[in-house]
Amino acid sequence: MGTVIREQDLGALVVGVTLLGSGGGGDTGAFGRMLRRRLGAGELVLRDAADVTGVSVSPIGVVGATSVLMEKLPGGGEFDAAVQAVSRWTGTEVTGLMSLEAGGLNGLTPLIAALDLGLPVVDADLMGRALPRLDQFSWAVAGRSLTPCALSEPSGQVIVVDNVDAAGLERAVRSFVAHTGGWAVLALAPTPVEAAAADAVQGSLTRALALGRAHAALEPGATPADVAEGLGGRLLGTGRVEEVARHLIGDGGAAFGRGSVCVVDTGSRAVIRIETENEYLLALVDGTPVVTTPDLLCVLDRRTLQPIAVDAIRSGDEVLVLALPGPTWWRRPDRITHVGPQAFGLACAPQLMEAS
Amino acid sequence: MRDLAPSLAAMLSSPGWTNVVVLSAAADDGPRLTGSHVLLEVSAHPESLDGQLLVVLLADDHTDWRIDALISRASAAGAGALLLAGVEPLGRGAQLLAERVQLPVLGCSDPLAAHEYLRRVTAEPEVVRSDLVLRAVAALRRAGGDLTSVLRTTSDVLERPVTLAGADGGTLAGGPLEAGERTALVAALPRVPVAWAAPYRVDLPSGAVLIAVAVVGVGPVCWLVARLPGVVPAEVAAVPDVLSVVAPAVGERLALRRLELERDARQRTSLLGELLHGEPSEATRRRAVDLGWQLDGWHTGIRIGAEGQVDVAGRRTDVVEAFDAEGLRAVVVEQGDGWSAWITAVREPTSTEVQQQAAVIRRVQRRLVQTVDAYVGVGRVQPGPSGIATTLAEAGDAAGLARGRAETGRFLHVDRLGLAQLLLAWTRTDTFQPAAQALLAPIKDQPGDLVTTLAVYLDTESSLAETAAVLGIHRNTAAARITKIQHLLGVDLTNPDERLALHLASRTSPTE
Repeated sequence: MGTVIREQDLGALVVGVTLLGSGGGGDTGAFGRMLRRRLGAGELVLRDAADVTGVSVSPIGVVGATSVLMEKLPGGGEFDAAVQAVSRWTGTEVTGLMSLEAGGLNGLTPLIAALDLGLPVVDADLMGRALPRLDQFSWAVAGRSLTPCALSEPSGQVIVVDNVDAAGLERAVRSFVAHTGGWAVLALAPTPVEAAAADAVQGSLTRALALGRAHAALEPGATPADVAEGLGGRLLGTGRVEEVARHLIGDGGAAFGRGSVCVVDTGSRAVIRIETENEYLLALVDGTPVVTTPDLLCVLDRRTLQPIAVDAIRSGDEVLVLALPGPTWWRRPDRITHVGPQAFGLACAPQLMEAS
Repeated sequence: MRDLAPSLAAMLSSPGWTNVVVLSAAADDGPRLTGSHVLLEVSAHPESLDGQLLVVLLADDHTDWRIDALISRASAAGAGALLLAGVEPLGRGAQLLAERVQLPVLGCSDPLAAHEYLRRVTAEPEVVRSDLVLRAVAALRRAGGDLTSVLRTTSDVLERPVTLAGADGGTLAGGPLEAGERTALVAALPRVPVAWAAPYRVDLPSGAVLIAVAVVGVGPVCWLVARLPGVVPAEVAAVPDVLSVVAPAVGERLALRRLELERDARQRTSLLGELLHGEPSEATRRRAVDLGWQLDGWHTGIRIGAEGQVDVAGRRTDVVEAFDAEGLRAVVVEQGDGWSAWITAVREPTSTEVQQQAAVIRRVQRRLVQTVDAYVGVGRVQPGPSGIATTLAEAGDAAGLARGRAETGRFLHVDRLGLAQLLLAWTRTDTFQPAAQALLAPIKDQPGDLVTTLAVYLDTESSLAETAAVLGIHRNTAAARITKIQHLLGVDLTNPDERLALHLASRTSPTE
């Protein structure tokens, strides 16, 4: 079994991966248009990992500053170059692709790569949502090495990294992208699909498509409660963004923009505060933490119902604040420490929605 | 315990909390703070607080989300208010949340000190009291001899303004009270206090409190008043004790000052007395030099009279200050119910200078009337030691006239022109007017307006033609009237003495 994606599904898929991005994951618009052009009238099958055998899949996606993607456009050969490099280094041919990160634009990049390279796509990924760091790949959390892997950047430069842990890889990737084009395609080592999928989140893109379809099915005048119910989430509040505070914090070499968004609910006047990094991480209602990572926090424009990213939200926006259940893969106590609020330096116990 | 709980507003104006700032305000005066509970970190969970202030010692980032969470927890635990280390403003979210749960949030660079102070005033009022009293006693021992230094010392100990007020609430020393507070204070205080009376507490509508303790000594009763901008019960209980300790010291300073004043005044008055009686002797001259009086040169005498009961010796400073403020170096001597003063110039002043000086003296009077109901006469410039007596005598006469003349601002200057005015003014006095009325009575109600005719006739140097022209009547009519006047009054208008008397009489106000 698998999920078939045709041209008319692309809109829903883009919205779906954006919602999984939880405010981060980069701008999906450009890759959405690229995917639409590659797909044309054809179709793409998202294969269930259980249905595929004898394939060596390589998780692939874009790393670095996704905002630079809009200025330094892809040349088109980056996916091929990274896949070729990792194949040559490992001596194993890549015969399938999967996503590094289902949330945001990396939900779409493996599909473009698969169309370009003519490879099948397995509907599994290493995050199930969007997360900022490489040590938050499910492979790393499950004890699987992330190396060897290959990086290729739009000017054509390719490097292969091996024999280093997730933190070391993070450093290598960051210094590489910082000194080249700002972003690069990362392809991990080709791995037998059974092993690759065992330590991955399954079915995220299918979920994204379902979320996108539910979003598309919403009536134009849907009430905030209707929206939450339609998307299978919980409404934290509806109101105006009172303040967006942003500041940089040094975090062991990697500086992420830390910030907070303050929304006052129109009805109850409850104060909703969302702590942000690259994604929306923690929501407090009247000072009480109610939802944290790895569950998904989504801020939608009240009028258009389009998701608003962390770097796009502004004071004065009229928004809905929603929580959607995060990937269940992370809900084990030994895994949640890697993606819970403490993993982002927020001294707060994870607050998860009731498992749906 | 609860009756010791001060309101947040009162605490914010209290001395121990001067460096506490409001990060998120309370409605009205804010809650009553029943005590103070201290936490180390923002992430700590407070127990039930029951109106206590929650103090957090480590809170370096006021925009942290944990501040929001703490506000929420503190509110749930029933905190009266939250005090954070540091004075940076709150994030917008925390601000909105604090307003929503109505929890005032404060900031302070030294939260432990603020905690300690609140704990003391709410739990150990007797410690606050004994501490203040002991500090006052120790500070008084070191305080300088004068009154202002005693008041300043007290004010420093209490960290509150302290004023010495008269029975009318007027300021004798220290910072002045506001007009409204002065009225409220006077209304609350008894007219005749007793030495052992309990201190008075006046609660003002603004929420401030005045504590007044009577200072009984020589001279009129005055009040030592401390102003507390808000009610911190422990402080309100302690301040009367401190003031009661200070009051005798103030009384002593007042008595000493009074003694000094009286001694100086007597010295000056007796010396002036000698000067006014003829050419001064060698000894008198020497004493004048000792007092800094210049006997030679050109003197302008000034007499300042005061209506009502005025403490002439005590208020002399006001007079000297008024002259100083206008840039005049005048010798001021207490004399009778007012002051005699003179200004000495090295050379004879020109008439313009005399006029300018008179204008300045007028300004001095305007300053004085704010505190004393003063009337002023100024004499002519006179040379030499004996000139002092002459000019002061003129000034005295002028002052006597000025007293009844509100239309000139109760100010009269005897200069060349003024002398005629002086005479004229004299005709308006109570003694002359009845005489003038009596003199003119026979022609008063006669037909032909004889009083006016007489006045015009004398003004025109006894010219019948002029009189007729001025009055618009025929010369013969004028002649007939004059004859009639002489007949009715039984006087001869060619007699200079009688003519002068009638001329003066005709200048009395015709309406009288």
